[in-house]
Amino acid sequence: MSAESVVDLSGIVQKFGRVTALDGVALTVRKQTIHALVGENGAGKTTLMKVLYGALKPTEGKVIVEGQERHFTKPQDALAAGIGMVSQHYSIIGELTCLENLMLGAEPGWTIPFANARTKATELATQMGFSFDWDALAEGIGPAQAQKLEILKLLWRGARIMILDEPTAMLSPTDADLLFAKLHELADSGTTIIVVTHRLPEVMDHCDDVTVLRGGKLIASKPVSETNPEELTEMIVGHSVDIPAPTPATPGAVILGVSGLTVKGERGDDAVKNVSFELRGGELTGLAGVDGNGQRELFQAILGLLPFSGSVALDGVDLTKKSTKDRLVAGIRLIAEDRHHEAVIEDWSIELNGVLGLHHTEPIRRGMLVSANARKEIGEAVTNRFPTKFDRVGQRFGDLSGGNQQKVVTARAFQQNPRLILAFQPTRGIDIHVSALVFQALKEQARAGSAVLLVSFDIDEILEHCDRVLVINHGEINEPPEHLRGDRQAIGRLMVGAE
Amino acid sequence: MIDPLVILFGLASIQGLTLLTSALTLSSPLILAALGGLCSERSGVVNIGLEGKMLGAACAAGIVGQLSGNPVLAVLAGIGVGTALSLLHALLTQTFRMDHIISGMGINALAVGGTSLIAKTLSNQLSGRMASFPIFIYWVAAWTAVVGIWWYLKSTRGGLRLNAVGNDPDKARQMGVNPVHVRLFALLWTGIFCGLGGTLIVTNAGSFSDEMTAGRGYIALAALILGGWRPIPTLLACLAFGFFEAINLQMQGQSFFGQTIPREFWQSLPYLVTLVALAGFLGKNKPPSGLGRP
Repeated sequence: MSAESVVDLSGIVQKFGRVTALDGVALTVRKQTIHALVGENGAGKTTLMKVLYGALKPTEGKVIVEGQERHFTKPQDALAAGIGMVSQHYSIIGELTCLENLMLGAEPGWTIPFANARTKATELATQMGFSFDWDALAEGIGPAQAQKLEILKLLWRGARIMILDEPTAMLSPTDADLLFAKLHELADSGTTIIVVTHRLPEVMDHCDDVTVLRGGKLIASKPVSETNPEELTEMIVGHSVDIPAPTPATPGAVILGVSGLTVKGERGDDAVKNVSFELRGGELTGLAGVDGNGQRELFQAILGLLPFSGSVALDGVDLTKKSTKDRLVAGIRLIAEDRHHEAVIEDWSIELNGVLGLHHTEPIRRGMLVSANARKEIGEAVTNRFPTKFDRVGQRFGDLSGGNQQKVVTARAFQQNPRLILAFQPTRGIDIHVSALVFQALKEQARAGSAVLLVSFDIDEILEHCDRVLVINHGEINEPPEHLRGDRQAIGRLMVGAE
Repeated sequence: MIDPLVILFGLASIQGLTLLTSALTLSSPLILAALGGLCSERSGVVNIGLEGKMLGAACAAGIVGQLSGNPVLAVLAGIGVGTALSLLHALLTQTFRMDHIISGMGINALAVGGTSLIAKTLSNQLSGRMASFPIFIYWVAAWTAVVGIWWYLKSTRGGLRLNAVGNDPDKARQMGVNPVHVRLFALLWTGIFCGLGGTLIVTNAGSFSDEMTAGRGYIALAALILGGWRPIPTLLACLAFGFFEAINLQMQGQSFFGQTIPREFWQSLPYLVTLVALAGFLGKNKPPSGLGRP
């Protein structure tokens, strides 16, 4: 490990209008190391990385890469200087083959010598220990494979400095460990890696140095060997977070009964395969699993948004043939995965979005009308439930920041006496303080007699908050045996079907 | 006793060759227009303005062909107007972010009104047949273009980028591909192909008349959809439509077993087939995912 620095950012200030996202931040990354950049949502991690790879031009500050001062105006400039980024949202186009995705934007010439390119791609992949069906369409590859392809894309373009934004967010623990093993190999062979993450175990186990940002300011930057998780947590959060001691669950009556549920996925195969389970009141149940294993389809079928075979009952009443409207009225609430497409109408006001989906429940519904009073009341309730920054309830929903939008969507699920809350990553984009409040609220709702099913891709989140754990893998749901309920590794193995 | 069916088949075999040449002639403008549509739609730009571009090109080629007596100038005028209208579509949809359908309809309306006005204004200076190249050249152009586009999509950098932009302009942009450049280039070719298509239509007729493209732009669009936005299947769909149009020309006025089938039936046959084929295939062929996205 050398002490030579390849990236030197100093005095970086980034302003968006009157908001200062970065306030005089410095970052030094040593050659051939894995450098962790940690902080809460909104701490400025992504903004800083955007400055480094040319997606943002800093208001002030210096960017020095490999000893040379740089003024990138677009990501391609940064790439030409050897810096590339794998963002959380992959830029892989499903309709192209893996090989085409690999080359897009950096093709070998005017015509493409496919046979040649395939050989070169295979060589590159073999070096990393990856294997690809280069001629298969990329839409079929899973998140772990997609991540590998993104890394190869950077190598194909000759990147020497690689930024990975939350690289393990979509991966199972096994895949995450494999990924870091590969990153170590890459670092040894000359690449420098910056990992943006919020998972401290990853930082402690796999990274050489760590930099902490909070509220757009640099808090600390030091070798991982000189710090510990407690110190890091405190630096990230600023003060310790109080989470009330969990009260043990007392499972009540069966609320949701699902039996023999099979749901077809987008590609025509069974996304959920003959699944049966019960959820009881009083319990917060976590559904662990890697993204894309049928969680989405399961939720949509329970709410009646997708056709399915099998049966779904709520409070002993068979809902199998009921419409989504009837299911909502019966008390099923969904905190949808994709807020923009499934949960809100962005051009509507906060207030209208607050009653959206609840508009058939009394007393919001008054005959053919929507009660203005009830609407106003709900509008206030959804903004007060979690600390939300907004001007007025009549404001356009789309003008709220992402985190605040999510708070409103989550708060809506608690309105009008829910019997069952289906929560799909309800804290996505919400900072750590409010996240704690959301989990607390879900738990309280459960304690008050409702059933809650929480989908999360983060095992630790589930272990921390849930009373009961179910695991979904390839559309099949398993419950870990009694003695392994709190065993991270065992759940991880179930998630990838290794058990 | 001679079976009437034998007579019918006998007639058909004599007429077979004419039927074939007729089908080829009639399908060529469709092929050219459909290829124009393919360039545009594979890049993600919806193009219902094929009709208008062909009509504009037909008018320009016809008038220039009559006035100058020079076939080269006629073809250049056709291609020029087709390209100009296509670049207008690019300007409206890419620079001004106008809805692709509305822009396309605007171009169609502009072409109908504009060509009619120009043709009327110049009517006393126009006479005789326009100067033109032999039809055969257009056949060769159309068929070569099909193979050319097929190869371009499959084996070139431009083809890969066209495909990428047509399916996901945002991700393509992230990979350093400029969607606007790709689409501009694609629409340039749309203009060239529609220009050739329009020129061919007016060449067949000898001189321009109002709305002479008669919906071929829309049929070409239907063929493109039937062909799943792929060059070779689109060619086959165009040939099928050309064939039914040829049948229409041959069968009009012929009687079967003493019964006369009204000529309106034969005239509507190609359109009926389009309707049925579209109803049967639409939804099965997946359009480029980025179609209509800015």
